[in-house]
Amino acid sequence: MDIEWYLILSALLFTVGFIGVLVRRNPVVILLCLELMLSAGALALLAFSRMLGNQDGQVFVLIVLVVAACEVVVGLGLVVAMYRRRLPLDVDEMKELKG
Amino acid sequence: MTATWAWLVLLLPLLGSMTIGLTFRVLPARTAGLIGVTAIVAAFVCGILALIGLQGEPSESRHVASSLWEYASVGGLSIDLGIYVDPLSIFMVLVVTGVSSLIHIYSYSYMKSDQGYHRFFSYLNFFVFSMLVLVLAGNFIMLIVGWALVGFASYALISYWYRRNTATKAGMKAFVINVIGDIGLYLAAILIFKNIGSVDYGTVFEKAPEVFTTNEWEIVAICLCLLVGAFAKSAQMPFHTWLADAMEGPTPVSSLIHAATMVTAGVYLIARCHSLFELAPTAADVSAWVGLVTLLIAGTIAIAVTDLKRIIAYSTMSQIGYMFVGVSIGAYSAGMFHLMTHAFFKALLFMAAGSFISAMANMQDIDRMKGFRKAMPFTAAMMIIGALALSGFPGTSGWFSKDEIIDFAHFRGGMYDWMWVGMLVGAFMTAVYSFRIIFRILPGPPCEEAEYLEEHGHVIHGEPKNPATGELEDTEVGYPGEEHHIAEQAGGMKFAMAVLGVLALIAGVLQIPGLDDVVTKFLEPTFENSVFSHMHPTTSESWIGLGEGALISLAGIATAWLLYIKRPDLPVRFRERFRWIHTLTVNKWYGDEIIDFLIVNPVKAIGRFCNRAFERFVIDGATTGVAGLTRSAGAAVRDMQSGLLRGYAVLMLFGILAIVIYFLIRSI
Amino acid sequence: MLSSIIWTPLLFGLIGLLVPRRFAAWVAALGAVITLGLSIGVLAGFDPDGGMQFVTDVSWIPGLGVDYSLGIDGVSIFLVMLTAIAWIPAIGFSALRGTERPALFYLMLLAGETSTLGAFLAQDLLLFVLFFDLMIVPFYFLFGIWGRDRGGESDPEGSPGNGPVTVQSATLKMIVFTLIGSLLMLVGAIAAAVIAADGGELTFSIQTIVARGLPEGSQNWIFWFFAAAFLVKMPAFPLHGWMPDSYRAAPLPALAVFSAVLSKVGAYGFLRVVLPMMPDAADLFQTTMLVLAIASILYGSAMAFTKTDLRLVLGFSSVAQLGFITAGIFAFNESGAEGAVLQMVNHGLVVVPAFLIVAMISERTGSEELGPMGGLAKKAPVFAVIFLIVSMATLAIPASANFIGEFFILNGLFQVDAAWAIVASVGVALAAFYALRMYQLTMHNPLPDGSDSKEISLRDALVVIPMVAIVVVLAFCPQLIIHGSEPAVDSSIQVVKEVAE
Repeated sequence: MDIEWYLILSALLFTVGFIGVLVRRNPVVILLCLELMLSAGALALLAFSRMLGNQDGQVFVLIVLVVAACEVVVGLGLVVAMYRRRLPLDVDEMKELKG
Repeated sequence: MTATWAWLVLLLPLLGSMTIGLTFRVLPARTAGLIGVTAIVAAFVCGILALIGLQGEPSESRHVASSLWEYASVGGLSIDLGIYVDPLSIFMVLVVTGVSSLIHIYSYSYMKSDQGYHRFFSYLNFFVFSMLVLVLAGNFIMLIVGWALVGFASYALISYWYRRNTATKAGMKAFVINVIGDIGLYLAAILIFKNIGSVDYGTVFEKAPEVFTTNEWEIVAICLCLLVGAFAKSAQMPFHTWLADAMEGPTPVSSLIHAATMVTAGVYLIARCHSLFELAPTAADVSAWVGLVTLLIAGTIAIAVTDLKRIIAYSTMSQIGYMFVGVSIGAYSAGMFHLMTHAFFKALLFMAAGSFISAMANMQDIDRMKGFRKAMPFTAAMMIIGALALSGFPGTSGWFSKDEIIDFAHFRGGMYDWMWVGMLVGAFMTAVYSFRIIFRILPGPPCEEAEYLEEHGHVIHGEPKNPATGELEDTEVGYPGEEHHIAEQAGGMKFAMAVLGVLALIAGVLQIPGLDDVVTKFLEPTFENSVFSHMHPTTSESWIGLGEGALISLAGIATAWLLYIKRPDLPVRFRERFRWIHTLTVNKWYGDEIIDFLIVNPVKAIGRFCNRAFERFVIDGATTGVAGLTRSAGAAVRDMQSGLLRGYAVLMLFGILAIVIYFLIRSI
Repeated sequence: MLSSIIWTPLLFGLIGLLVPRRFAAWVAALGAVITLGLSIGVLAGFDPDGGMQFVTDVSWIPGLGVDYSLGIDGVSIFLVMLTAIAWIPAIGFSALRGTERPALFYLMLLAGETSTLGAFLAQDLLLFVLFFDLMIVPFYFLFGIWGRDRGGESDPEGSPGNGPVTVQSATLKMIVFTLIGSLLMLVGAIAAAVIAADGGELTFSIQTIVARGLPEGSQNWIFWFFAAAFLVKMPAFPLHGWMPDSYRAAPLPALAVFSAVLSKVGAYGFLRVVLPMMPDAADLFQTTMLVLAIASILYGSAMAFTKTDLRLVLGFSSVAQLGFITAGIFAFNESGAEGAVLQMVNHGLVVVPAFLIVAMISERTGSEELGPMGGLAKKAPVFAVIFLIVSMATLAIPASANFIGEFFILNGLFQVDAAWAIVASVGVALAAFYALRMYQLTMHNPLPDGSDSKEISLRDALVVIPMVAIVVVLAFCPQLIIHGSEPAVDSSIQVVKEVAE
């Protein structure tokens, strides 16, 4: 199979994830969409790795997975904290960092 | 040996000043005064010993240079802590220490009731030390040092009664004007070093004729710079305004510093640098004309003002004008001779004036003084002697010395004949104002204070008031205390005045044309290289000149008698008729106002402009402006921080897109 | 030897943290005295004609060619002496009357001494820059912690003087100004080393860079990077914007050494770094620098006789004096440069007692404003005489060593062009005015109500009189300093002199 297909799939996944980040307001969903974007990147790396026949891409994917896991931990931790403090679970409401 | 004595002359007053200054807490006031007097008298004795040592030398090697250590030297400019002893400096040393001794003795009694007795004697000794540094200096830097130190001492003594605003203001004025004079000397010394490569008297005067051609601009510039210093110190136009204000100081100070010694330093300077001035006749003429103008203007002011000390001060200015003319036109020994006789009779006049002022409980207005003839006969006699000498009455010292200068101007002829005429007019005015004082104070029915003195045998106690403003004064700082002192009752004052009185009368015998010329002979080694050293009027010409002087002096005294005794209504009518002349002269020809307008006010305005406008708006404005710019730049971009998470995401998207597009375009 | 001079103060400052609080001041004073002792030791073994002496040279950051390199010559030795002397009265004055948080206060003061000594002794460009920047840090804390807010300056004529100052804004201004200058200098230093190496082995040694020489084009911009730092530090007109506020807010003992010594580091930098390293640029910009210097003299004097805050009178008089010093350095001849060195020492020696006297005056009158003052001499003749001597030395009355310094500078300027000397001498007259005005308005005239004319106390006399005594002794023999510094001064202006000719 040609590499293009993998890349098209990866691009589609990334776009879906990014649109999700832009349009959804629930932090949990946004985190899900971020995971989607990371997976898209991982897919592209795997495809290239396969094409070039070396293992570097796979190593990168492993690292990306680790980072993704960490990120989810922190992100979900924040969400839980927000829930406990009975803050609205809506990213547009949380703009205390406005300059 | 001569040099050692000269160093001792310097050392003694300094030691006196330091001793009194450092031990003022423990030393009784009388002892302090005694130390002060002793130091100066001892210095005088050392001066005489130095004179004897010097006279022992053959006349062509009658100068000694001596130095203690290298003071400062850099890049070819080498300055020693050195002195130069020759007849001229010894002459000045003797005049200074001699008159100072008498004035110290006078002050010992006069300042008796003053709270600041130690301070006074410490300053006065320090002044004598500085003046001796000035006259003994061996190079131009030491000269500047002495020059500035006498300025400082003069300041300290003018502001001696520092509780008075008028005294501190006068001190400030004197000091700043004197510093301007110092700067003239700085520039002169720098120019001399630049052209000759040395600042030592010996080298400079020896080499000057080789280095400069007559009236070359550089030597003229040097002499003009020297003249700035001389004019400022000697209160010649246009630097004269400080001298009248300096009368705020105690009367012995006026007598010593602002009449007899310090203010004549300019004359000494010109005489000392005569070999430079002879190379720059233009500068010498400038000096002579300035002296002439000053002597005339000061004379007119002295006729108009009514403050006793200020009259004498203007008369000092006028007499120094004579000396300036004298030493500038080449009559060196005549100028120095007049310097000496003037020191005698002017110191005497001030001492007598101080006595009268004490008797008047510090009032200085001659319009209020009257009839002191009986109340204070001794002081009155001394005052008359002083006035006679000042006005050049035949036979007195002033007659011989002043007319010698006047003669010399006539003898040189040409342009100098105009000066001769001017000086004769000045001599007439001198006689008028000298006897104006006498005729106002002494004859007539006694005024309240004189009567009180006659009846009670002691002086009236006035309120402690500032004579200039009438403000009541703090008596804790200095004079006036509870008592005042007058010559009739204080031995020290009487003694000092008597000695000076005798000297003022007979000092003329030193220079009787045709008979002897002690001063000229004595000073000859100093001036022997001068082109004028062998030019002098013949004996008969001199006697004709003396005759003219005598006539003018008598005419002046007669005029004063007419105006102030015989027809006292005349001055009043004159004043009514020519009000503008009176206004002009009594306001001192608006000298203060002109200087304020031209210099003081602009300088102050610049200061205010810098403070209020420049510093505030430009310097501070630039500082706060930069800070403000940073702040407003921040404010401009802060709206981008919306806090909207999704907004940031969009921005990131566009950012990444922009980068991607950039690389795509690059790769094509 | 030199290392011990540099680090002794800091060491004693740190010891001060460990001992009980009431001993901190004495430990600090001991440290300062030992530093002075070591400096005197160096002075005793110093040979005026020996060039750079007591050299220490240890490789520090070999990769960058930075050495820990110290040395002393005729110029730096007297500035080191000045530093070692000046800190003693500052510490003594505070020690005898106590301060808040003493251990920290003395640590900061002594850290300031260490870095100042370091700047005078460093022979490596980067080390010099480092010490130069470090100097400001302790003073930032000294001014910030022990300084105090000040109300607006009063003006008898009802027009605005300086407005109210807070410590924060004043110290911020100072640190921003000096840091900008210092950072420019850092850039300049790196550029100078790199350009001088020209692909060869990189070194920051000042002597090596001077020997290698810089191309003319680079000199021109590097010159201004250094000049910016030095002119801000001095401060020179028109870069003195930070000075009024910081001077008004600062604690006086710290301000005394700050004004006396730190300002001299700028002038020293010109003599040590700029002239030898960038002679062509210095020659090219001679006129500009002289204009700046003369402007400082005139502007500083004009402000000094207008200001009513005593600290500002002294501050602006320093601007004027530093103008004289800069002018002397940029005259490029022995007389000017020697006068400048002499004047650096003299001015430092005079400023320390002057600021301490301001502290005593404000204790007596409760104010530092000249307007309502007067009459303090009444019961305090000794105090008045001390202040009189200091004022007279400030205005460089002939017979003071300051006069010789100023005279040499004027002489040097005259050799460049008579006009410079004549304009600069206006500053001499103005100095007479402002110094005497300061003296008269405090000591003379009637004593107003609320002021207390009190004689100087023994503890104050102990710290001030030795300084005044040094000033007086130097007045009799300025040749002591001239003799020691002349060869070094000559050699530091040698290159630029040749270029100028």
